[in-house]
Amino acid sequence: MKYLQEVWGSRELLLNLTSREVRGKYKRTIFGQLWSLANPLALMLIYSLVFGVLFKSNPLPGDPSGLDVFALWLLCGLLPWTFFSAVVSTAASSLVGNANLIQKVSFSRIVLPLSTVGSSAYNWGFEMVVLLVAVSIAGGFVLPWIPLLLIVMVLLAVFAAGVGLIFSIANVYFRDTQYLLGIVLQLWIYLTPIIYPIQLVEAASHTHGGLLGTPVTILGLYDLNPMVHFVALFRELIYDNRWPDGVEWLICVCWALAALVIGMIVFRKNERNLAEAL
Amino acid sequence: MTPAAVRVDHVTKSFRLYHERNQSLKSAVMRGRRSVHDDFLALDDVSFDVPTGSTFGLIGSNGSGKSTLLKCLANIYHPNAGSITHFGKIAAMLEVGSGFHHELSGRENIFLNGSILGMSRKEVTRKFDEIVDFSGVEQFIDQPVKNYSSGMYVRLGFAIAINVEPDILVVDEVLAVGDAEFQEKCFHKFEDFKRDGKTVILVSHSMDTVKQMCDHAAWLSHGKLISAGAAVPTINAYLHSLSAG
Repeated sequence: MKYLQEVWGSRELLLNLTSREVRGKYKRTIFGQLWSLANPLALMLIYSLVFGVLFKSNPLPGDPSGLDVFALWLLCGLLPWTFFSAVVSTAASSLVGNANLIQKVSFSRIVLPLSTVGSSAYNWGFEMVVLLVAVSIAGGFVLPWIPLLLIVMVLLAVFAAGVGLIFSIANVYFRDTQYLLGIVLQLWIYLTPIIYPIQLVEAASHTHGGLLGTPVTILGLYDLNPMVHFVALFRELIYDNRWPDGVEWLICVCWALAALVIGMIVFRKNERNLAEAL
Repeated sequence: MTPAAVRVDHVTKSFRLYHERNQSLKSAVMRGRRSVHDDFLALDDVSFDVPTGSTFGLIGSNGSGKSTLLKCLANIYHPNAGSITHFGKIAAMLEVGSGFHHELSGRENIFLNGSILGMSRKEVTRKFDEIVDFSGVEQFIDQPVKNYSSGMYVRLGFAIAINVEPDILVVDEVLAVGDAEFQEKCFHKFEDFKRDGKTVILVSHSMDTVKQMCDHAAWLSHGKLISAGAAVPTINAYLHSLSAG
C-alpha cells in the first residue's frame, strides 16, 4: 500500500516523462505525429495483400454489424497488438537506457517503464480514433460501444504495463532479454488470431482432438494466450458491435491484474539495487 | 552542540566484484546457482553526525569511499548495514543536467528536470524566472538544449538543482562549472543557504574550496573514517598525512 502511495506521489513526474517521450519522439521530422500512423498502415497493407488476397484468409463478416472488410477486421486486432508490443519492448530497455539518470538522481524508478506505457498509449489512442472513423464510414455503428472500448483499452494497458515491468528488470540483469524479446514478440503475434481468424484454429483443434491421447486440445492450449482474449474483446466491440461474453471479460481482467501485481512485486524487490546492477 | 541534520550510523557498503561479469543468460546458466564474486568494502563502519546549519566537507584520496558515501546519502545506494537518518528534506546534486532531453527546449527541460528532482509543477512555475535568471540563458530559453554551449548546459542544470530548496543539500564536485563569475554566484548561493540555517554536504578535492566554505569535515581513507570534526584540523591532518606518506 505504501508503495502504491509512493507511485501515486510521482504521477506528475510520470506525466512529464511521458510528455518528454511524446514530444521528443518526432522532433525534427517533417510529418511529425503522422509517422505514428505509418507503421500500422504499412503492416495493414502488407498483411491485407499477403493474407487477405493471396492466402484468401476469409474471416466471418461482423455479426450483427455486417461489416466484411479484411483490412478493418485486421486492424481491430493489429492496433492493440502493436501497442502491446511497443510497450513491452520499450519498457524492457527503459531502465538500461536511463542508466545515467538512475545512477545520479534519486526518484521513484517505476516511472521509467510506466512512462513508456503512457507515450505508446498516446500514439495508440490516435490510431484507434482513425480506425473508429474508418469503421463508421464503412457502416459499423461503434459510437455506443466507445465507453466499453475505453475500458478494454485500459485493461490492455495495465496488462502491458505489468509485462513491461517484468521485462525491464530482466533486461537489467540479462541484456539478452531485449534480443530474445524481439523473437518472442514475433512468435507471439502468430500465436494470436490477429492476421487469421480463430475459426481456423478451432477447425484444426477439432480434427486433431485430444493431443497425445489427453483431453488437452490445441484450442485449449491456444486459449492460454491472454492476447487471444484481448483481441476477441476488441473485435467484438469494434468490428461485430456486440456485447462480449462475460467469461472473456473475466479472463482479461484476471490477466491484467495478475500481470500488474507480479510486475510491481518484481520491480519493488529489485528497485533498490538498480543503481548498482546497471 | 547543535542537533544533527544527518546521522550516519555504522554504515557499511560493499560491492560485489565479479570475476566474469558478462551479464548474459548463458553465463548465469553455466555458473548454476552460485555466482563467483568477492566482496569489496567501499565503506566500513562509518559513523558521524552532520550538525544542522553547517557546511560539511568530505575529503580523502581517490577511492576512499567519498562518492559511495555521497550516493548513500543521496538515497541512490542503500547501505548493507547501518543507517542514514536525515532530519529535513534532502536533495542531491551529483551531476547537473542529468535527464535533460537534448531535442527539447530549455524551458521544457526546466519543468522536466525540476520534476525529476522532486519539484511540483507549481513550484517550478513559481521559481521559473529565478532559475532562468540565475542560469543566465534567457536569450536561449526556447532553443533546444543540444544547441547550448557546455557552460550554458551546466549552468541551467545547476540553477534548477539549487532551486529545489532542500534543508540538506548534497553536492558532488559540481562547483567547478562555469566561468569565474558564475562560480562567484554559486558561492553566494551557498552562503545564502547557510544563512538560512540549511546544511550543505560537499565532496571536493580542492582543499582551498573546502577550507573556504566548510566549517566541518570528515576524512575518509580506504572506506574507513579517520577523523571527523572541525574543518581546519581535519584538513591539516589530511594534508599532513599526504606529505608524510
